[in-house]
Amino acid sequence: MDNVTTFPEAHVPDEKELKSRKNVLVQGMRFAVLNLKMIAMINKGHH
Amino acid sequence: MARTVILGAGIAGHTAALHLRRMLGKEHDVVVVSPNSKWNWIPSNIWVGVGKMDKKRVTFPLAPIYARKGVEFHQALATELHGEGSPDHPHPYVTVRYTGPSRQGKTANLDYDFLINATGPKLTFEATPGLGPQGNSWSVCTAEHAVETSQALQDVIGKLQRGTPQTLLIGMGHGTCTCQGAAFEYTFNVEHELVQAGVRDKAEVIYITNEVQLGDFGMDGMNFGTKDGVVPSQMFTESLFKERGVKAIMAAAVERVEPGVVHYEQLDGTKGEQAFDFAMLLPPFRGADLKAFDREGNEITDQVFAPSGFMKVDADYSPKPYEQWKPSDWPKTYQSVKYDNVWAAGIAFAPPHQMSKPHKTPNGTAIAPAPPRTGMPSGVIGRAVAKTIAERIKHGDRGKVHTASMADMGAACIASAGTGWRQGQAAAMTVYPIIPDKERYGEQGRDTKETYGEIGLSAHWMKVMLHHLFIYKAKARPLWYLIPE
Repeated sequence: MDNVTTFPEAHVPDEKELKSRKNVLVQGMRFAVLNLKMIAMINKGHH
Repeated sequence: MARTVILGAGIAGHTAALHLRRMLGKEHDVVVVSPNSKWNWIPSNIWVGVGKMDKKRVTFPLAPIYARKGVEFHQALATELHGEGSPDHPHPYVTVRYTGPSRQGKTANLDYDFLINATGPKLTFEATPGLGPQGNSWSVCTAEHAVETSQALQDVIGKLQRGTPQTLLIGMGHGTCTCQGAAFEYTFNVEHELVQAGVRDKAEVIYITNEVQLGDFGMDGMNFGTKDGVVPSQMFTESLFKERGVKAIMAAAVERVEPGVVHYEQLDGTKGEQAFDFAMLLPPFRGADLKAFDREGNEITDQVFAPSGFMKVDADYSPKPYEQWKPSDWPKTYQSVKYDNVWAAGIAFAPPHQMSKPHKTPNGTAIAPAPPRTGMPSGVIGRAVAKTIAERIKHGDRGKVHTASMADMGAACIASAGTGWRQGQAAAMTVYPIIPDKERYGEQGRDTKETYGEIGLSAHWMKVMLHHLFIYKAKARPLWYLIPE
């Protein structure tokens, strides 16, 4: 197991961040933003 | 009348076939050759592999779709390319061997005026002794593999529920593998299932990868633009690993897989082994190993295909050091270097070089993630090639040549990290351009306004939405062509 890394220095999300990731209202808004970002990405890639 | 033959019915080939059929009149033939009778939405194999989705929901028969759309379908494997025909048959043709039950083993020569090679990857389990479902590890590369893997995972969960600790090893089965994103997704879906089953505390989950840093994904990593500044994908990914308690073995080339133990070599030449109770390890890919012949029957495979079996196209294949690699090395039209009526789309084209810096161990073992060519660029390339061919058929040499360089194209990747409408999680990542361009974007290599990463329930919803949208599109339902690739 010596070569196995556990990332002790990595950032761990706090309680607020974890709740936000599952909050339906917050995530509903993020879903809309994600869709807009995807559409922008698609428009850039389709010539 | 023109006849276009498309080898392969994956994302690139199927997209090209449907667009060509839509753009051309019925007087022109569109022919698809695929050894598989079914289409498979491969990104959702991850969910089949953890038992959250039935195989039937990620596959469907191709023949009825092609019959409805007027596409000629041959369930067959292409074996030879005769781009100049032969002395007694002076027209280009491909030789195919049928794989369907009605004509199994029979061969035929199919004439073409235009050819798209969209044969995808050949899964090269044999590159690593003991790798794969015929050996000592599992795979999710096909829907059938994913079903077997799901059953093995359920056995492991059963043992955990009976109190026996288990080690689950997931990742890359060779130093030159690609598709790290798929292994990453499977890792976190498995971890999620262990939590749901109430056995996470008894299981060790280890990710083994040929990436030198986590978050490399075979694309030299990414730098996500956020309101707090630029966040490297390494930091983003390591955070998820720590949060979920997943450990990693990095910069590793798996050498062999024995029952219950993997042997690997790391970048500094040290050899290691990792015991496991369950291992899902992806194989390296190579091209479909088509052979090419000139008019006299002399083999010219090395003129048409790279040693990897992928087709050489309009890329700059001249060998040069990593520091001199340029985005302009990457192909734009995907036209064959040998024939002006042949193209390679999706995974079938030979990349000019990796995106991530390739490494070798002191023993000479390659630790060099191959460049990923995911569904989005494969679909975009398939469509661009189809449009070029339609233009050539309609307007001859005056027809517009369509381009789709990965150096000028973005990609979106939704990496699932667990299912469920309220409990699901996924990492949504967008990247622009796919090929890093340090001349245009400085050391970051990409536009940090367009390169973005986020973890949450919304990304899971996005993954589910894309699953349904792309299957709808692939089934050529009404207005399918309005759904972008």
